[in-house]
Amino acid sequence: MDKAVHTESEAALIDDLKRGDSLAYRKAVRDYSPAMLSVARFYLDHSSAEEIVQDCWVTVIDAIQKFEGRSGLKTWLHRIVANRCKNTLRSSNREVATDFSESLEPELANRFNSTGRWDLPPKLKFHESADTLMEKGALSDCLDKHLSALPESQRSALMLYEAHQHKSEDVCNILDISASNLRVLLHRARQRIFLMVETFQESGEC
Amino acid sequence: MLMCRGLAEIASDYIDGELNGRQNLSVKLHLMMCRHCRTFVGNLRTSIHLMKAHSSAHPDADVLRRIDARVTEALSAKKSGKSNDE
Repeated sequence: MDKAVHTESEAALIDDLKRGDSLAYRKAVRDYSPAMLSVARFYLDHSSAEEIVQDCWVTVIDAIQKFEGRSGLKTWLHRIVANRCKNTLRSSNREVATDFSESLEPELANRFNSTGRWDLPPKLKFHESADTLMEKGALSDCLDKHLSALPESQRSALMLYEAHQHKSEDVCNILDISASNLRVLLHRARQRIFLMVETFQESGEC
Repeated sequence: MLMCRGLAEIASDYIDGELNGRQNLSVKLHLMMCRHCRTFVGNLRTSIHLMKAHSSAHPDADVLRRIDARVTEALSAKKSGKSNDE
């Protein structure tokens, strides 16, 4: 397998981690832990997820010596977290229960009539650009609230795919789901954000 | 024929370029004729950009501090172990 292309800064960080540089670990923990927590929270409750991420970092201190760079550092870290979570679930005979059967959020599905046409179409265009909308502090707070209210499975998929820009194939491997199930999780999460922005634009309320 | 509900079901796949040629064409044809669906797809696209622009998806500072403390402790233990060996 070819080596992944690492940016100069990532290659330098990996060298520093291999040397056990504590400042490098501090930077890596700050930069990589949020997404590692997203992975762990797909499988486990918040407190177990934090414990797993801590354990993974302790493992990384030794394991980084064997890191050959076949994947990016981020993907490598996420696989370590996912594998550890899967082992934890296996040893306690639990599994992640997620509903992949419906691609529409009920709140949106109810807005079509029996012939499949819009009964309650979107009233407003989100005229402003995403950046302009984000400048409104209240919307940002509202987004925070709704993102944290998403089911963990949807939020993990959304974070890894959109915020941390993993390829679909990597997200499927890390979360152990099929490509079509990833599409359902992403679409459901995006609809919830759409519904939230729509309510916010119409009523100014979150 | 693709109806509005059917389009809403596959709108993310359309936005991400995940549809096959035939599905893509039927979405495009529908969008030419239906302003409600044009608004929906446009708004969904803005929602996605909004999510990406939202950078506060980080866990709270306490969680990061606890992880950092554990790593620092493990690093020190490893270093002192090494110096004991030497």
